[in-house]
Amino acid sequence: MNSTQSPGAAVRIENLDKYYGSFHALRKINLSVERGERIVVCGPSGSGKSTMIRCINRLEQHNGGRITVLGTELNDDVGNIDGIRREVGMVFQHFNLFPHMTVLENCMLAPMIVRKQPRAEAEATARRYLEKVRIPEQAMKFPGQLSGGQQQRVAIARALCMQPQIMLFDEPTSALDPEMIAEVLDVMVTLASEGMTMICVTHEMGFARRVADRVIFMDGGEIVEEAPPEEFFTSSRNERTRQFLSQVLGH
Amino acid sequence: MEMIVVAPSAPGRIEDLRRRFFARPLQALLSLVSLATMVFLAWKLLNWAIFSAVFTTSGGPEACQAAAGACWSVIAARWRIILFGLYPFEEQWRSALACVAVVVMTVLSCIPAFWTGRRIALVWGVGTALYYVLMKGGMLGLAYVGEEAWGGLALTLFIFVTTCLIGFPLAICLALLRRSELPWISHTTGLIIDGVRSLPLISILFTFAVVLPFALPQWLAGDKLYRVIIGSALFFSAYQAEIVRGGMQGVPKGQEEAAMALGMSYWQRIGRILLPQAMRNALPATINQFVISFKETSLVVIVGFFEILASGNAAYGTGEWRFAYVEVYAFIAFIYFVFVFSLSRYGAFLERRMSVGER
Repeated sequence: MNSTQSPGAAVRIENLDKYYGSFHALRKINLSVERGERIVVCGPSGSGKSTMIRCINRLEQHNGGRITVLGTELNDDVGNIDGIRREVGMVFQHFNLFPHMTVLENCMLAPMIVRKQPRAEAEATARRYLEKVRIPEQAMKFPGQLSGGQQQRVAIARALCMQPQIMLFDEPTSALDPEMIAEVLDVMVTLASEGMTMICVTHEMGFARRVADRVIFMDGGEIVEEAPPEEFFTSSRNERTRQFLSQVLGH
Repeated sequence: MEMIVVAPSAPGRIEDLRRRFFARPLQALLSLVSLATMVFLAWKLLNWAIFSAVFTTSGGPEACQAAAGACWSVIAARWRIILFGLYPFEEQWRSALACVAVVVMTVLSCIPAFWTGRRIALVWGVGTALYYVLMKGGMLGLAYVGEEAWGGLALTLFIFVTTCLIGFPLAICLALLRRSELPWISHTTGLIIDGVRSLPLISILFTFAVVLPFALPQWLAGDKLYRVIIGSALFFSAYQAEIVRGGMQGVPKGQEEAAMALGMSYWQRIGRILLPQAMRNALPATINQFVISFKETSLVVIVGFFEILASGNAAYGTGEWRFAYVEVYAFIAFIYFVFVFSLSRYGAFLERRMSVGER
């Protein structure tokens, strides 16, 4: 649990609009995420769910509305952006590990050059988190020598080494072979049980059922429905949600 | 029933040769004819270069000319001109030491242990300062020798190394500017790169050596040598910038996003994530560019510098050794070969080293 909680939501999104050229990718999104809350975002491809969480750490620039992260508003102030990115970890669909560095160096780089941690401290932290994601023995290998599941766990460890207050997951298991999905989800479940604030874009409905406080369904750039998992899976009111669920869960 | 599976054993070396070259009568005939031709040519070359060649200066040019083989005496008699050009005879040890300084500097900066900002800056700073003081003199009790008297190998190495030292960082800057998000910056940079690339190197050298002094105030123009080096560095950087940019395009977009998400600043992302990967992608083409630049140093003869090739012309051009130009060119070719071949082998070493961790 994070003990140094300041008041206010972890993430507050108000009337968020995002365009790609003339394509309206996000339409007036409103979402508030409390500290320690676990949110699962799902929806058909192209529904804007990745775009939305990429706006939270400014990998995408929004065109309208307000995003406030940990009390700081995301605007053109580079200092704000860098400050928020330090506190928000992100895990990508394609891992995006740095291929020219070892696993350990991947985990140590940002704490050393962004947080200015001494090498010994950064290494101790990195080894601790590699232990946590259950691959301490791979520390000296390069990413290209690991399996997809192992790479994704390294990516989680790398994000955790910055000791972020919020973790964003952008379809973390979509690029994995089926037998590797479980090992990544296990790590995410552990993380959730320790009280990390998490926003996960994923189609793993079992994971949503197990850890989510709220499930959010997006379609066409809008939040169509949001509900606790029990309610979401058993009695969703919206036709589009029911159709999506029947497609995801149906076979 | 148990089956024992045995991998077919590889044929022996002789059997392998027989299969490859002597499987059928016509093939065997062709193989034999080719072999005979190669042996004959190798024998002719060795005979000319070594067995029938003259190595000493004792007989003078006449005895040498009468010999059936190569006349290496011309090298023994004229190597100083080839290596040092018009540099004053009694001071040529300085030019030799300066060559050593440049070579040591280059070799040191090729060793991975020296790849930290401070060490590489130290090596280059000390190396170029040493070269400059040794060549120019006018201090520490060394007699003054102006740039117009520098020549031969020492000049070739100096022009090549300084071209790369100035041109390479410039190329990286141009490549970064060209991929800027601000259209007016990327377009202007693109225009500069394409502009320089559409001009012949000779015209750029000529402009910097001859035309520029009329346009610039005296104090800014500097010596012709440095203007020529700047011109050649500019030319180098225009080509190298595109090579670096190509390397950058090969780095997946996700790499920069991951670095951003970790809170790294622009320069941290460039220095730690983008460039190391881009340079790995760009390495083969980069070595190519270095090789081309080394050979292009010979063009400075156009604006009146006696680099190694021009010094070679001077070495046989004076009367008595006029007949021995083949030997002089062979010698110069050998020097080029030593440098360029080492460069290529170093490139291969780097490629092996950088591919660590790739499956």
